[in-house]
Amino acid sequence: MSVQEETFLTPVVPLDFTYNYYIGQYLTRYFKGFKEKKILGSRCPGCSKVAVPPRKYCGVCNKVMEEMVELPQEGTLENFTVGHVTMEKGGRLSPAEKPYVLGLIKLDDKASLLLHKVEGVDPSQVKAGMKVKAVWKDQVEGDYWDLDHFEPA
Amino acid sequence: MRNVAIVGIGYTPVFVSKRRDVCIPEMISEAVENAFKNSGLTPADIDAVVFGNMHTFEGLNLPHLWSADFIASLGKPVMRIATGGTTGMSAFHAAYYHIASGLHDVVMVVTYEKHSEGDAQVGLMGIITPEIMAMLAAGIDVTGQKGMGAIGGGSAGGISYQATSYLHHSGAGIEHIDAIAAMERRNASKNPYAHLKDPEATAEKIAQTPLISWPIRFGHVCPTTDGATVCILASEEKAAKIADKAAWVWAVANCASDATTGNLIEGIITDPGEQMPATIAAKKAYERAGIQDPRKEIDYVEIYNGFAHQTLMFLERIGMCEVGEAHKLLEKGELEMSGSLPVNASGGVVSTNAIGTSALNRVTECALQLMGQAGEHQVEKEVHKALAHGWGGLMQYVTITILADKPKKL
Repeated sequence: MSVQEETFLTPVVPLDFTYNYYIGQYLTRYFKGFKEKKILGSRCPGCSKVAVPPRKYCGVCNKVMEEMVELPQEGTLENFTVGHVTMEKGGRLSPAEKPYVLGLIKLDDKASLLLHKVEGVDPSQVKAGMKVKAVWKDQVEGDYWDLDHFEPA
Repeated sequence: MRNVAIVGIGYTPVFVSKRRDVCIPEMISEAVENAFKNSGLTPADIDAVVFGNMHTFEGLNLPHLWSADFIASLGKPVMRIATGGTTGMSAFHAAYYHIASGLHDVVMVVTYEKHSEGDAQVGLMGIITPEIMAMLAAGIDVTGQKGMGAIGGGSAGGISYQATSYLHHSGAGIEHIDAIAAMERRNASKNPYAHLKDPEATAEKIAQTPLISWPIRFGHVCPTTDGATVCILASEEKAAKIADKAAWVWAVANCASDATTGNLIEGIITDPGEQMPATIAAKKAYERAGIQDPRKEIDYVEIYNGFAHQTLMFLERIGMCEVGEAHKLLEKGELEMSGSLPVNASGGVVSTNAIGTSALNRVTECALQLMGQAGEHQVEKEVHKALAHGWGGLMQYVTITILADKPKKL
């Protein structure tokens, strides 16, 4: 059977889908730290590695991480990408105003990598291994946006 | 445990961007009918059905039940499996368990994706949305305004860190990613069931495509495809009666790492290119298949490569070559259909990605090579053992299947 005309049905349902996710006890503590411009992680009692942002379990040791530790504000850029597109509401991709750097940052040899924006450096000059430091908003509110970006130290 | 064989394979006649002539179950039924035609089996021969496709990509939560009469499953046990990109191979593994356990004799695996009718980005978002930190950390503005950052391009953004890490540790350059992408698009041109085909593809041509998120370019990324794949498995006793040729399962294995942070940093303290689950699953599979030296014993490999660098990276992770060696094998032409380690003669996922089918197609393509039925993309060397790799979950889940041209000695 061949079909000459394309016929589509786009159902319209009388519902808006809204989800509300609690960020959990560990991220609540992480953002409390932001109020004092502190970057907190949770330390594993087994292998003593630190998860930043903090998480409840060390998956490798299967242990609950209860101890919170403060991490240095300066670290090493371990890995990065340079973004050339952004996605707008509705899923439309458009070229970024200018290329931007997102980096995986090691704040401590024992700590996991923190993903954050890296600014104040030409994207073509970014190198793995460079030292970067945290830059905070002047007015901290205890939310994600307090830790604004990292820049070359 | 009983031996299990692949006794029938059916694809939709084409894998393309938009199938506008059929609805979802109609498209699936084409692959089902082809599997019956190719195997000589009928719906009455099937004991149970395992169904696989991506979560929410078409907004359907129970597609296996909606499609029941199109997949010959009325009155039979049927289950749906969704594990991300690995879905197709997870469904295959489930069918293997059905038979190896002795519970059923003939089981049909049905997989599909009809990307054109849904929204893959919405589906991918649904995988990580509750992992709020992953979204924030990836630069996604959860207030929904604008500037969603690198991961806004779906997994292309998240994967760029993996590619950067691969290049750093292997000594390969972006030109090698261009070259492997070109090789696979050329291979795809010989596969009637591939989507993006370019017999003239070169690294230079791929290098002209725009950067999305360094070092990932448009030419390194898989398409979104409409298509379906069906695979029928049988016990050794049944296979002897119903199949002239079969491909035999010698091992299945799979492994996950830290599920939540795995999305971006794959385990608490690790490297996005490490892909430890691939190494663990491969080792387990070699052990189960009695393989001592995979480099000598495995003749053909199908790698799940949504992004072109992954062919090279995963060859290293599963122990088919040393770290830093894959791009050198590529330079020497060894990964080509005429080479000593032919990989993705099908064109791989980077050429065709109806995602529910993609990890199963790695298995069926290995089976076709083993049975000498791959047609124009049959590799030159003899294939006695082949390895199929699947990658998915939250970027941290890996499946492995090892097939051979004869039954395993139990």
